[in-house]
Amino acid sequence: MGNEAIARAIVEHGCFLAASYPGTPASEILSSIARLKKEYNLDMHVEWSVNEKCAFEVALSASYAGYRAVVAMKQVGLNVALDPLMSAAYTGTIGGFIICSADDPGPHSSQTEQDSRMLAMFAKIPVFDPSSPRDAYKCILPAYMLSEKYQIPVMVRPTTRVCHARQNITTNNINGFYSAVSFEKNPSRWAATPRYRYDLHKLLNKKIEKISLEKKFYPLQWNKTPKKAHTCIIASGVAFAHVADIIKDTSLGDSVDIFKVLMPYPLNKVFIKTILESYKHILIIEEPYGIIELQFPEKKHIYGKSNGFVPCEGELTPDIIEPILHHFFHRKKTRRKLPANLPGQRPSLCPGCPHRASFFAIKKAFPNALYPSDIGCYTLGINLGVVDTCLCMGASINQASGLFHALSKNTKQQPPIIATIGDSTFLHSGIPALINAHYNGARFILVILDNSTTAMTGNQPTALSGIRVDGSRSKPLDLEKVIEGLGIAFLKNVDPYRVPDMINTLKEAALFLQKPDGGIAVIIAKHPCLMNIPKTRSPQPVISNSCTGCGYCVKHFECPALSITNGKCEINTLSCTGCGVCIHACPIGAITMDN
Amino acid sequence: MQDTKTTNILMAGVGGQGVILASEIVAEAMLRAGYDVKKSEVHGMAQRGGSVTSHLRFGTKVYSPIIPDGEVDILFSFELLETLRYVHMLGAHPLIIVNNQKILPPSVIMGKDHYPDNIPDLLSQYCARVHLVSALDIARSAGNPKALNVAFVGALSRHIDIPESIWHDAIAAALPPKIVDLNIKAFTLARQNQ
Repeated sequence: MGNEAIARAIVEHGCFLAASYPGTPASEILSSIARLKKEYNLDMHVEWSVNEKCAFEVALSASYAGYRAVVAMKQVGLNVALDPLMSAAYTGTIGGFIICSADDPGPHSSQTEQDSRMLAMFAKIPVFDPSSPRDAYKCILPAYMLSEKYQIPVMVRPTTRVCHARQNITTNNINGFYSAVSFEKNPSRWAATPRYRYDLHKLLNKKIEKISLEKKFYPLQWNKTPKKAHTCIIASGVAFAHVADIIKDTSLGDSVDIFKVLMPYPLNKVFIKTILESYKHILIIEEPYGIIELQFPEKKHIYGKSNGFVPCEGELTPDIIEPILHHFFHRKKTRRKLPANLPGQRPSLCPGCPHRASFFAIKKAFPNALYPSDIGCYTLGINLGVVDTCLCMGASINQASGLFHALSKNTKQQPPIIATIGDSTFLHSGIPALINAHYNGARFILVILDNSTTAMTGNQPTALSGIRVDGSRSKPLDLEKVIEGLGIAFLKNVDPYRVPDMINTLKEAALFLQKPDGGIAVIIAKHPCLMNIPKTRSPQPVISNSCTGCGYCVKHFECPALSITNGKCEINTLSCTGCGVCIHACPIGAITMDN
Repeated sequence: MQDTKTTNILMAGVGGQGVILASEIVAEAMLRAGYDVKKSEVHGMAQRGGSVTSHLRFGTKVYSPIIPDGEVDILFSFELLETLRYVHMLGAHPLIIVNNQKILPPSVIMGKDHYPDNIPDLLSQYCARVHLVSALDIARSAGNPKALNVAFVGALSRHIDIPESIWHDAIAAALPPKIVDLNIKAFTLARQNQ
C-alpha cells in the first residue's frame, strides 16, 4: 500500500520522530511507522497527537534539534496545522523535515477537494507529487536531502489513489541508527520578532528561487518520439499514470512528448521556458488544482483547467482523462450506457453501533431539535435525521453556540439544540470550543459520543484509551475531570445501550438549560466501538408473532440487521450483534430478547 | 510502445462482505506469480455498509491503479445488484462471476425502491459468460459462513492460469494462522465446484 511504502522509506532513511492525527487517506502512514518501530526494535518516537497542529509542532521541533522528522495528515488536517506551517517556512529546519499531506480528489472521504500543493506554494516550500506507491517510496530520500540542503520543510503530497493503491516494491535495509543531536539556541531564528522575519522571508525567497533551478528535479520525459513533436503533455501525480496507461495502448505516443513532473512547486524555471519555446500545444493534467499550470506566465498555448479543457473539480480518473486526450488529438470514441435507476447502497452505522442507540434516544427525547454534529462515523446519524450540520473538525460546539445566540432573540420558538461530537474530535478541537461556548453564555446540550477510539479512520487509540500508537501504556485522560475543570455544572455519564436512561438524562439536561443559573449540559454517552471488543452474539433478539410489519424499526432505527421481508420484520442472525437496543425501537414491543 | 495486455478485474460488493481482503489475496497471488500488479480501492466512509469496489490490474507493466471504462475483463461481484452497477465498464470479451446473494439497499428495505428481479438474466444481456456461484453455501459447508469471500476467490481462481499452490500461499499470508485451514477448504470446494 502507498502509505506503507511511504512509512517504510521514512524509517529506512533514519527518521527519528513521526507524529500524525488520523484521517483518510493518510491514516496508515503513522500506524505502519509504529509497526516498523516494533518489528525492528527501533529507538524512535512515534505518536498519535491530539490534532494536526500538535503533531506538526512536535515533529518540527525534533527537526530543530537536528533529527529527521515527519508529520503526516490528510489535506484538511493541514488547515489545522497551517499556522505553524507558514512560520516554519520562515524559520526553516535543521534535520530533514517532511510534511506528508494526503489529498482526496473526488472527494471520497473529505469535506473539501483542496490541493495541499497550493498550501506548499502559499507557504513557499517545495512539494513532491508522486504518481504511484513506488514513486512515493522513492521520493522520500530526495525530500529529506532537499530539506537538509536548503534547511526548509519539504512537502510530499500523495493522493487517495497513491495512498491506497498497492504494488510490489523492493525495499532496502533498516538500520535505525541516529546520531546524537542537540538543540542549539538561536533566538533570532527560532524566536524571530517581526523585524527579523523580514530577513527570514528574504532568505526563504532565495531558497525557493534556487530550488526552482535544481537540475535534479527537472521534469522527466517519459517517452521517446521518433521526430520532433510540436505537442506535449505535462502531468503529475496519479494522473500521470493514467495518461501513461492510455497512451501505451495507442500510437499517440509517437507524436507527443510526455513529461512527468515530480516537483510541481517550484516548477523548474528552465523547464517552463523550454516548454513555451518548443511546443505549440501544451496539455497539462494534474489534480485537483492547476498548480503547474499556474506557474506558466504565458497561457496562449496551454490546454488545462484555466480554459476549461480539464475539469476543475472531481477526481481525474482514466474515464475523465481518456476523452480529454481524444479531444486534444481530435479523435472519437463510443461508450457503453449505464443501466438506469438502480436503487443505491449507502453507508450506515454498523449493527450494534452505540452511536445508533444515542441518536435513537436523542430523536425520541427531542424529535424537533436542532442537531449540529461533527466529523466521524457518527456523521452517518444523518440517515436517522439527527445530524443537521457537519462543517469541519470540532465545529459542532461552536455551531451550537452560534445557533443559540442567533435564535435566542426569537423568544417564542427556541428549539432545543443538541450537539453531537465524538471523543477523538472533542479532544482534537472541541475543548477550546466548549470553553468559548460556556464562557460566552450559550445554552445547549452537548452529547459526547465516547467510544474510546477514532473509529472512522480505522480505530486508532485516543488519549482516553490509555494506549499509545506503539502499544505502550499511558495514563488515560479523565474526560469528566477535564469537563468539570471547565466549569460545566451539568455533566452526566450514561451507557447509550440503556435507551430509557439516556432519554431520561437528555430530558433532565433540557430542564437544566431552562434554569436561571443553567448553562451548557454535557452528557457523555459511553460505550466502546464494537470493532474493539469481542462481539457478543447471543442471546439475540427475536421477532414475536405480534409484528405487523409496520416498518417503524427499519425507518427510524436503521439497523442493517433488520429488514421487512414478506410483511414482517426479520433479523439477520449473521450480522446481528445481540446488542438488544432494537427492543426499544418497536412501537408495539414485538422485538424481544431470546432467552 | 505496445506492452503485453493488462488483465483487469473489477471486484464489487457491499461493505462488510470481505471484498477488500479478497482483493488482497488475489493481488498477493498475482505478485507471487511474477506479474506487475496495481490495485486500488477507497477506504473510510464507504466501508460502513456502502458500495465497495476494488480495481485489480496485472500484466507485464501497469501504470494506473484504476481500470478505464470498457476494459473490465472479469467483473467479480459479491452481490447481485452491485453487479449491475458496473456492467457499463465491461470490455470486449468479458466474464461475470457473481455471488448469488442479495443485500437489500436501505431504499428497498423502506419500500421506496424495488430490488430488480432476475438479475442473472439482466446480466446475460450485457455479457455472454455469466457464472453464478453460491459462495455463502460453500463457505457454510466448509464450516463457517464468514469464509464466503475466500470461497468466492476459489471460483475466480479457475479462470486465472497460475498454480494452485500459489493461491494457498497467498491465503496463508493474508489470514491469521488459526483460520487458514478452514479458508483453504472453502477455497478448494469452490475451485472444484463446476
